Amino acid sequence: MSTSPATDCWKRIGIWGDRSCPELPAYIHCRNCPVYSAGAARLLDAEVPESYLIEHARHYARAKPALRPGARSAVIFRLAGEWLALSTAVFREIAPLRPVHSLPHRRDRVVTGVANIRGELLVCVSLAAALGLTDGPAPGAMARLVVISREGDRFVFRTDEIAELCRFDDEDLGPVPATLVHAQATYTRGILTWRERPVGVLDDQLLFYTLNRNLA
Amino acid sequence: MLFILFQLGSDRYALPARDVAEVLPLISVKVLPGAPVGVAGLVDYRGTAVPAIDLTALAFGRPAARRVSTRLLMVKYPHPRGGERLLGVIAEHATELMAKEPADFRPMGITTGATRYLGPIVHDARGMIQRVEVAGLLTGELRAALFTDRESAPPPGPAPTRRQGIAAAGSGA
Repeated sequence: MSTSPATDCWKRIGIWGDRSCPELPAYIHCRNCPVYSAGAARLLDAEVPESYLIEHARHYARAKPALRPGARSAVIFRLAGEWLALSTAVFREIAPLRPVHSLPHRRDRVVTGVANIRGELLVCVSLAAALGLTDGPAPGAMARLVVISREGDRFVFRTDEIAELCRFDDEDLGPVPATLVHAQATYTRGILTWRERPVGVLDDQLLFYTLNRNLA
Repeated sequence: MLFILFQLGSDRYALPARDVAEVLPLISVKVLPGAPVGVAGLVDYRGTAVPAIDLTALAFGRPAARRVSTRLLMVKYPHPRGGERLLGVIAEHATELMAKEPADFRPMGITTGATRYLGPIVHDARGMIQRVEVAGLLTGELRAALFTDRESAPPPGPAPTRRQGIAAAGSGA
């Protein structure tokens, strides 16, 4: 099922070729050109072998796999040796590390200072301290600053690593184990299993409430 | 309103997308010996045996070409005794969708006895497209041949939940 060299002009003079086709300026991209559409139609006109019919018959005889798109989205990150997740909706920016300026007359474990993010001074917090985690090793090459915001409140915190976005449903969340330190258990909505690792999904509403209270 | 376009011979026809539960590639069919012309056989659709007709065979007496563009449409066929039955419809060149309002279609003016499924006509840049009515796809003889054993089954009460499940899954796709 391949196109003949005489007609695959999109590979020779089109968008995947040297772009010398006189029609290209008018169509902008080969996918808008009727010659390219006709090529696609020829592919669909290919005869199918018996094995194709049997293979698809076997596929459609099976029950339809249930699609669960996952109603919630969270960013998974690492902090003080723990894998945590926080609702994607509160993330505003992930930035490289930059200096955090400490505030005079303030020796707070949670509020660590201010950082310049795109010309704005934002409050930096230690999420590890807020959650009652002991600070891990010094930040490595994967460490990033994260800007989160919710209902107008903005904070910056440092993570050791940002892993990825994940989608899940509430029923995917497991119970919070009793062995978690008290402060962390309070802020954890549930435990998600991601790549065979337990990930604590944080309650963003409670987290922002606590960070705000520390600011006062 | 969305229509699935296909071809009979070189002419184009439109089937309302809301009458189609799922579009499948051409799959192998269990032939029913002695079945009338146009009946392709039975297909195993998600574990249920569903009768399938071949529109090209029905119209011209030759089976549909075995091409990638020939597809098996799982159509929600309204049974005269109530409820919907799934009916497989093999159609050639089922590769395009078209959005048209029902009012865009104009009556054809003539009806030939065996082609009760043919409806009004709409025009586009490439010519005429005729609407196909799902309810008219089967003649009385074909319907009796394809759905007999289910009709002889006693329970006429509420529709079996299994079929509802399939219809719901299809409309969500």
